[in-house]
Amino acid sequence: MNKSKLITMKEAVEQYTYDGMYFGHGGALPVGSDCISFFREMVKAGIKDIDCASNCNSQGTNLLAAVGGIKRIEVGFSGLEVYGFANGLKRAVETGKTILEDYSNGAIPIRMMAGALNWPFVPTFMNTGCDQQWASADDPENYPNTKKIPEITDPFTGKICGAFTPIKPDVAAIHVTMADIYGNAIMLGTEWCRYELSRCSKKVILVADKIVDTGAMRQFPNLVRIPYIVTDAVVYAPYGVWPACSTGLYDSDEEHMFYMNKMLKTEEGTNEYLEKFGQYGDVWDYVNMIGQERIDKITNTDTAFLMDPYRQWIKTDAEIKELLERR
Amino acid sequence: MDYTRQEMMAIATGREFKDGELAIFGVGLSMLAGFFAQRNHAPNLMAFTEGGVYGSTPVGGLPWGIEDNRISANAVSFTNAIDALGFLVASGRVDNAVIGAAETDKYGNVNTTGIWAEGTDPWKVGKYTLPRVRLNGSGGANEIATGAKQYLLMVTHEKKRFNEKVSYISSPGYLDGGNAREKYGFPGGGPSAMITTLGILRPDPVTKEFILTGYYPFSSIEEVKENTGWDLKVAPDVQVIPEPTEKELENLRAVDVTGSLRKK
Repeated sequence: MNKSKLITMKEAVEQYTYDGMYFGHGGALPVGSDCISFFREMVKAGIKDIDCASNCNSQGTNLLAAVGGIKRIEVGFSGLEVYGFANGLKRAVETGKTILEDYSNGAIPIRMMAGALNWPFVPTFMNTGCDQQWASADDPENYPNTKKIPEITDPFTGKICGAFTPIKPDVAAIHVTMADIYGNAIMLGTEWCRYELSRCSKKVILVADKIVDTGAMRQFPNLVRIPYIVTDAVVYAPYGVWPACSTGLYDSDEEHMFYMNKMLKTEEGTNEYLEKFGQYGDVWDYVNMIGQERIDKITNTDTAFLMDPYRQWIKTDAEIKELLERR
Repeated sequence: MDYTRQEMMAIATGREFKDGELAIFGVGLSMLAGFFAQRNHAPNLMAFTEGGVYGSTPVGGLPWGIEDNRISANAVSFTNAIDALGFLVASGRVDNAVIGAAETDKYGNVNTTGIWAEGTDPWKVGKYTLPRVRLNGSGGANEIATGAKQYLLMVTHEKKRFNEKVSYISSPGYLDGGNAREKYGFPGGGPSAMITTLGILRPDPVTKEFILTGYYPFSSIEEVKENTGWDLKVAPDVQVIPEPTEKELENLRAVDVTGSLRKK
């Protein structure tokens, strides 16, 4: 555990992502805890033909789909919750640019668990007896479909259930509240499917709001649900979930959530959005782009007290710059 | 008394929850109905969200999502989806829940996935065709539909939403009626009621077809039938559902601080 895995956002996208990859991301929630800034960097780099394993859509997948970067997506929920339909993804699906294979919110983590365990399949009641089983966007000619979630017989009782295929992404980018430079991470708020995702993916990049000293991990080892062993790279990404929220650090930016989604509705709007919010350089430029006024507003969160136990271990920007230079 | 149809629907939904039950609410209006019940008559209702946020209540307004900071600020436990949606919901443990629907049918099946052009639904044409309008997918409603002991559908009562058969079953109700669910071995019991902006429909115990069992002081049997896309049967003992009490309205509005149910 003595090797620093801290790299820059640009390096992470250059070194780990590629056209056509099978990509997992998370927490993958529409309003919370997805690695949105990692998606922005992939859009900047022009990564395309991505096959996504998504628990839910977020502004990350919404943006990537809006620029035509998602070839296929398996997803449990494709909206933005109270913020409405995800216009970028919706447009890509309705025009046939993105193949969307429907599963439920419970199905995706269970399939990731199966991938993590290296099981051939996992039995399920979820998604059976409905069109999520019978209708397949991957195999549209066959209805009712018998291959997407095949019916199997319980060898013990003789009863019928379904079989899910495991998910094993090539690469996963996982938002965490805090990580140390070795790849140990603590998540505040629901971890959703991030625990399973960190175990079923071939490569794991942590996208952390805060870089902390390993002392934080040694104080709260029960909370380190992603240890260094499964981590390949650590990226410092302050406000990396913006405009969605990161529990303990900042709330969702209501105005920008609506604005971004409105812009992604059309190709022209998407281009205009990217001119304004897709042209920055490094992570410090990104923070400047968000601007202090917005940051003051979103960091005034009722969840801020959740960070109190960890403050003594948080690395400053100067320390992080030094850690990156010292490599 | 001055209240909206949405408020009546939320209160009627909240009345279905009993003290001490284990419950899961979705985002938006169903969450308001659940937290109203907790505040009004079920203080020991144990609620959680599908991502595994336990013991919390909304802080600072209606949460933008089920894992928004507004529902995470006073939690006692954060876990994950396999825990909440899997161990507690899909397993058959949860007592009651609320889900919404873009479209439902006479057997309580729910479509939240898409709207297809006339006559192009997958089951009509024998293949999967692109929806004309892509909706949001099932989210965690499928786990509730297959796993919850019972659950409620909360739906705005419009003819286009209440059809003979849904275009796409995102979350199964009673499928083709009768004992059709049994084939799939679902741990859960199926939908116990549709609570709408016009009344309450409950399933016939044998056929599982939803029939009108109650309407509101401001609606009528005729209005409900006119706004239902199948030949709706009316229960012999159909009742007028009591309007909200002052206490109920006060408790609902204390939860609905942003007034999202008061918009007419």
